[in-house]
Amino acid sequence: MMVSAREYSWPVVFSVALHGAIAVALLLVTRISFTPPRQIIQPLPINAVVISSQVLHAAQQAQEAQAAARAAESARAAAAVEAAKTLAAEQQRAAEEQSAAAQKAADAQRVEEAERAAAAQRVAEAQKAAEAQKAAEAQRAADAKRAAEQKARADREAELRRQLAEEEHVDAVEASPKRDQYVASLQNAIQHAWIRPPSARVGVDCMVEVTQVPGGAVTGARVTQCNGDAAVRQSIENAVYRASPLPDPPDPALFQRNFAFRFKPND
Amino acid sequence: MIKQLQFMAVIGFFLFCPRTWAEFVVEVTRGQEQAIPIAVVPFSSAEAAAASFDVAQLVSNDLARSGRFKPMDRKDIIDEPHIGANIAFDDWRRLNNDYIVVGQLLPQGEDRFGISFELYNVLNHQRLLGFQISSNRAGLRLASHQVADMVFEKIIGIRGAFSTHIAYISMVGAVPHRTYRLIVADADGENPHIVMQSNEPLMSPAWSPDGQSLAYVSFEDRLPSIYVQYLKTGERHQVSARAGVNQAPAWSPDGKKLALTLSTRDGNLDVYVLDLATQALTRITDDPGIDTEPQWSKDGRTLYFTSDRAGGPQIYSVGTSPGDRPRRLTFQGAYNARPRLSPDESTLAFVTQEDGAFRIATMDLKGHNDMQVLTKGRFDVSPSYAPNGAEIIYATRDRGRGVLAMVSSDGRVQERLVSSEGDVQEPAWSPF
Repeated sequence: MMVSAREYSWPVVFSVALHGAIAVALLLVTRISFTPPRQIIQPLPINAVVISSQVLHAAQQAQEAQAAARAAESARAAAAVEAAKTLAAEQQRAAEEQSAAAQKAADAQRVEEAERAAAAQRVAEAQKAAEAQKAAEAQRAADAKRAAEQKARADREAELRRQLAEEEHVDAVEASPKRDQYVASLQNAIQHAWIRPPSARVGVDCMVEVTQVPGGAVTGARVTQCNGDAAVRQSIENAVYRASPLPDPPDPALFQRNFAFRFKPND
Repeated sequence: MIKQLQFMAVIGFFLFCPRTWAEFVVEVTRGQEQAIPIAVVPFSSAEAAAASFDVAQLVSNDLARSGRFKPMDRKDIIDEPHIGANIAFDDWRRLNNDYIVVGQLLPQGEDRFGISFELYNVLNHQRLLGFQISSNRAGLRLASHQVADMVFEKIIGIRGAFSTHIAYISMVGAVPHRTYRLIVADADGENPHIVMQSNEPLMSPAWSPDGQSLAYVSFEDRLPSIYVQYLKTGERHQVSARAGVNQAPAWSPDGKKLALTLSTRDGNLDVYVLDLATQALTRITDDPGIDTEPQWSKDGRTLYFTSDRAGGPQIYSVGTSPGDRPRRLTFQGAYNARPRLSPDESTLAFVTQEDGAFRIATMDLKGHNDMQVLTKGRFDVSPSYAPNGAEIIYATRDRGRGVLAMVSSDGRVQERLVSSEGDVQEPAWSPF
């Protein structure tokens, strides 16, 4: 028996090598077919232009939810790879038993072990890749958030500084009669332009939002709150347009692009 | 006539966060009571000769007469768009127009015309109206008044009364050969039709609430009697020819009764209510003085009338249910007569005597009974409210001749209606 075994040593080696090759081929096939689709893990583009803190907060939450979803997806994909590998191995084992009945249990064992090791390695690799991806996404999300926060903070600061400067200046001109002068001139202009319909009686109280550009040209007039009828509303909007161009402020700092007029007949 | 307005400055100047409106608030508590500038562009008419009717001019005249509009002079209109798409808004705005009316008069077959028109706000380019009215040639005048009504209502916010009518008495000729006519015309005085003609006096025309009939006093039998005439057919009935005075008929709001003035044998005048269907008579006032010129409230429960029971003529009100005691309403001045209630029943118009002249005055019924004298003539009498309450028509004298005039109910606008001939008096404005 020993002699015969030695005589068959080459075919055995050949057979083992062949099985190994089949195992490698099978592994490659399963890896290709079970690669999770890429677009799912791809992070979605995040709009970094944030208008308000509320919007920002909502975006953050959405991002976090996305990251969590992606992690779960990766885990599911890894589990699927493992299951597929087990199945493939089983199939291979059956084929092996059929094609090489004479093959030694030890050889089969070795092949199986090598295979299992390879499978384990694949699983580990897949997990590692998923984790790396997750980490990268988290990083990206964090970066975007940080950038947005920085921008918002910078905006706020700039606005605050502007406002502060403006207020300081306005405070200064407020001490002078210039503001009263400006308001009076606006009042006068609009009052003269308002043709009162008969329904604009005492008790009518309407606000009109006015948009002007430097130079006083009215670019918009819209009645918001108003307890008057359609004729009253129309007469008010027309008054603002008729008064265009509105008088210049005595001090440019007093200019307001947007402001409101209140129409409240008192007689 | 524009009141000098004093402006109360009530100012709020607030600084808020930058993204909100109302950087500051300016309060406007007064407005100029001036006429609204509007351009009524001549309507295109492919066959102008066939139509030979100037819709735009009539609309323009109506709006001007209301005193609330200042239509652009026809000769200043250079560009003539006929549809909204062709309006160069900036140009019209530069000519200081707030609104523009454009339209077309199109023949639609045998004696059929279509008036299509659009109203735009020049300041914000908004289209406010777009309508087509179909009419035969005879109806073009009425259709044009309706265009004016719609424009007026859209901008002013109250219903236009240009397409309503007026009734009045016209007298032609010297006394022995004098002809009296009861005439119904368009609210602008045009298009007069003779309803009744007589060689004896006609007086006190009064519109039924549905605008289909007129009640009036006729002396055709030498004695005064009251007739009701249906305008469409001219058919008429004598409803009161009692001994003595039969005068000053006034329709109840349901059109079923007439309030009128009758006299007792000793010549005392009192107000009665006559049921037109049953001829049943109810006495409303019982006073030795003269009670006359009754006028109904809208709910039919109150009558306003003139009485001299306190000496001079003053205005009183009385309930129509039996036993109600009259209440005096006017206390300013020695002469207040011929009450007429505004359509919203907030105001009473009447004739008052001021500096020896008769003038039209109004009194706020809801507030402090403050009296406002609206006219400045020597002999302004017979006020009658337009159905929208915006104007009062009355009779006055111009160089010895009786003419009709109108005053806006706030006294701001006054005008005369030119009559072709004769003395005109006792105008009555129709309901809608």
